[in-house]
Amino acid sequence: MLKQIRSFFRVLKSHDDFERGMSEELRFHVDQYMADLIRAGVPPPEAARRARIEFGSLNSTQEECRKARGLQPFDELRRQLRHAGRTLRKTPRFTATALLTLAVCLGANLTIFAVVDSILLRPLPVPAPDRLVTVFNTYPKAGVLRDGSSTTNYYERRGQIPAFSDLAIYSEGAAIVGETGATERVPFMRVSPEFFSMLGANPAMGRSFTDAEMAIPPSRVVILSDSYWRRNFNADPLVLGRQVQVAGVANIVVGVLPPGFRFLSSEARLYFPFASRPEDRVSRERHSGGNSKHIIARLKRGATLAQAQAQIDAQNNTLERDDPKAKMLSDAGFRSVVVPLRADHVASIRPTLLWMQGGALALLLIGAVNLANLLLIRASGRIKELAVRQALGASRWHVVSEVAVETTLLTLTGGFLGLAGGWAGIRLLGTLGAERLPLGADIAFDARLAMVAVVGSVILGIALALPIAWFNLSAHLAGAIQSETRGGTSGRMSQRLRHGFIVAQIAMALVLLEGAGLLGLSLKQAMAVSPGFRPDHVVTGQILLPRNQYPNWPARLAFNERLLAEISRQPGVTAVGAVNNVPLSGNNGKSAATVKGYVRPPGETLRGHYSYGVDGNYFAAMGFSLVEGRFLSADDSQREDRVCVVDEDFARFYWPHARALGQRLFEGSDETKDVDAFTVVGVVGAVKQAGLTDDAAQGAIYYPYALRTDDSLFVVLRTSLPPESVGPALQTIVRQTGRDATTTDVRSMETRISDSLITRRAPALLAILFSAIALLLTAIGTYGILSYAVAQRRREIGVRMALGARPQQIRGQFLALGLRLLAAGTMLGVAGAWVTGRAMRNLLFHVPPFHVATLAGTACIIGLVSLVACLVPAHQAARISPTEALADE
Amino acid sequence: MGKTTELLPGTLDMLILKAVSLKPLHGYGVLLRIQQISGDALEIPQGSLYPALYRLEHQELIAAEWGVSDNNRRAKYYTLTGAGRRRLRKETEGWNRLASAITLALNTTPEEV
Repeated sequence: MLKQIRSFFRVLKSHDDFERGMSEELRFHVDQYMADLIRAGVPPPEAARRARIEFGSLNSTQEECRKARGLQPFDELRRQLRHAGRTLRKTPRFTATALLTLAVCLGANLTIFAVVDSILLRPLPVPAPDRLVTVFNTYPKAGVLRDGSSTTNYYERRGQIPAFSDLAIYSEGAAIVGETGATERVPFMRVSPEFFSMLGANPAMGRSFTDAEMAIPPSRVVILSDSYWRRNFNADPLVLGRQVQVAGVANIVVGVLPPGFRFLSSEARLYFPFASRPEDRVSRERHSGGNSKHIIARLKRGATLAQAQAQIDAQNNTLERDDPKAKMLSDAGFRSVVVPLRADHVASIRPTLLWMQGGALALLLIGAVNLANLLLIRASGRIKELAVRQALGASRWHVVSEVAVETTLLTLTGGFLGLAGGWAGIRLLGTLGAERLPLGADIAFDARLAMVAVVGSVILGIALALPIAWFNLSAHLAGAIQSETRGGTSGRMSQRLRHGFIVAQIAMALVLLEGAGLLGLSLKQAMAVSPGFRPDHVVTGQILLPRNQYPNWPARLAFNERLLAEISRQPGVTAVGAVNNVPLSGNNGKSAATVKGYVRPPGETLRGHYSYGVDGNYFAAMGFSLVEGRFLSADDSQREDRVCVVDEDFARFYWPHARALGQRLFEGSDETKDVDAFTVVGVVGAVKQAGLTDDAAQGAIYYPYALRTDDSLFVVLRTSLPPESVGPALQTIVRQTGRDATTTDVRSMETRISDSLITRRAPALLAILFSAIALLLTAIGTYGILSYAVAQRRREIGVRMALGARPQQIRGQFLALGLRLLAAGTMLGVAGAWVTGRAMRNLLFHVPPFHVATLAGTACIIGLVSLVACLVPAHQAARISPTEALADE
Repeated sequence: MGKTTELLPGTLDMLILKAVSLKPLHGYGVLLRIQQISGDALEIPQGSLYPALYRLEHQELIAAEWGVSDNNRRAKYYTLTGAGRRRLRKETEGWNRLASAITLALNTTPEEV
């Protein structure tokens, strides 16, 4: 067998040599024989004749020889490819339509697949990625679905969960790095020692962190990413021991990571030890995750997720036994959940992506139906030729393989064009912000995609060949040869198939259009949601202060005061304030608060509330509405008595029948000393915190900035100038006001709102694009089928008109055919839309899954487009001239 | 040409191997050699020779090389490979066994039963 294969490939390589050699050899034989005959006295012309006759057919001998060398399938394929190429070139209009359809449909699929592949399918670039999990705390009944993990969790679990071989904790942040005057903001991660080995990314140079480095005071060591090492140290091989200035403090480089290392979507370029004090690791801090610290773990070989979950649950139960807050925790539905790392990371985007791929596949199906119909029509036109060839001995296999070669050649060419389309599509997605999706930075046009394109094209080619081959084989050949008309009796069968395809196509286009309509409507609804503040003319930016220049809280507050004063002096600025975190930033955390005198009714649990520290004129700058009382001002930070502002959701929840003003509350889950209580001095309108589509009325508390310990800082200013023009000025002011202070993420509030809708906008736009193409394809398909029906019945129409049929009757007949197909397709489509709408209701926002108005509109559009597509051929039919039609054949 | 016999199916390969084993030959030479060594008793359809040659070459029982013929033309010469030699030996033994068995059977007289 091996020998045969080797010989086959050798010959394949030198196919032309082989053919030449074979001809030469056979010619030599005939010449020699002729010479021998002449030598034996046969006259030359007679000798030549006899030599040829006795040798037999040169062609069939050559064919036999090819077969003997295992070359026959190859020759056959070459011949069929040449034949297919010739036929396709002979019908340029058909070929161009088919290729364009394929390029668009395959391009759309490849684009979406590139996203699906990089985000959902491709394994993470670490060893045994499917054994990586993350563990997070959840308190669902308190409205906190996700709270990360605490340092305590890490120390309590490390080495204690038998199902885990490794467990690590990390947090992310950004630091000001570099010498004074030449600083930059660098994203970093704090990680525990086992982090890198667990991800199979032990430092390429140097070492990972040690347990000793997990203590505070920090040991000032840093590990560099490969890119940081190359860019900032020119890939210095002696970098170990050199220093990186982080917030003005020297950190010693102890390691450099291997190239290409990237943890999920993290952009970190520096890594520090996850340092903590002993008091951060005690049981009191067990629930202080705050969604900023995260635990990842690796399952032992053979251990299951369920085992790990059971062990974590068991440990939590044991630990809770002597926890004074055990009751409160169980009321809050506390649990630590173990989930696969990658699935968890992309969970939010997964359904959207799958629906997009579904939509693209529906588009492909619609395009494929068009192609199948076009091919069927072509096959009907060639039935006579085929019948003759089969009568002359072409085998059934030959008929089938010829069709498959032709369709596959078509789809493969379309696939390559589709790859070009995919390349463009991926760029288009880039402009829509696809790289901001989780793992979105990995979306790439690569060999894997090309392979998928080739495999997909071949499969599509074979699938397209099936109905054509079936048609060819089941056609009544004798009838076809004898029949005067072109299609003969085989016409009815293929006609039924073609009409079935059209019905399916109309139905699919309707479903696609309806899906796009629902997504678009959801987007519109989401965009129409009032964020609760006035986002126009508001500019925001995040400010990072280096710790060495601003080592303590008073220094930071003093900076705030100077900065806000400086900004308020700028032209056009009407109000300016500061806050820990702006709404819709995507990581708005909740924390607990306790209202003095509030007794929770049985069954109700402690609630998490959005909590902020605000400074300056934040509320006016952001455009909050005041319900009662007053806003906080910069002076509230200095007052003796502590005050705060709550939103109306909060007030309604705790004091539905009493005035909120004058009520007192405590930060955290306990009622503590009276001096620590905050008095409510104002109630503001509720704003959307986590997202425009977040309907939960969770309640928010706004404390004076100075009285919160959260030192993250956003500056918010309202200006009468165009917001875009203010950004650079803001950065300049920050730089001038604070030593080495940097501003990042400068965006207007309107941009933030619009960016927060990216997972709705991009899919809606794509779906609309897809359904527009689907509509066009359906129109082309319907038009094609009906005009074919008209062309096929030309003679019949001619006869009927010669016998006195009026043009209106002819037109009506074809229109009725079109309407019948349309009605069937619409009915099927409405059923499909109902199913699809229900299945995708999680993606919808304030739109019922079965939206009658959208559906009616969709059906109208489809109906209108199909009707136009029917009218043209029907009209053509009515204009057929009987004399010409009858003279034709 | 005297009286000729049709080839038994499957024996052409054996005869080609034998012919080539005596001396490297081109295709036409193989034809002549088989006629010669069979005492002109075997008739080989000329066209069927080449598919057999190509099949044997494909199976690497014979090897082909371009050379120059007696009348100075380019011609493809076939030689026996090691595998071909082994095959020829086996086939020859097999044939001899078969032939003697059949001969024995056919020459049986009533007395011997």
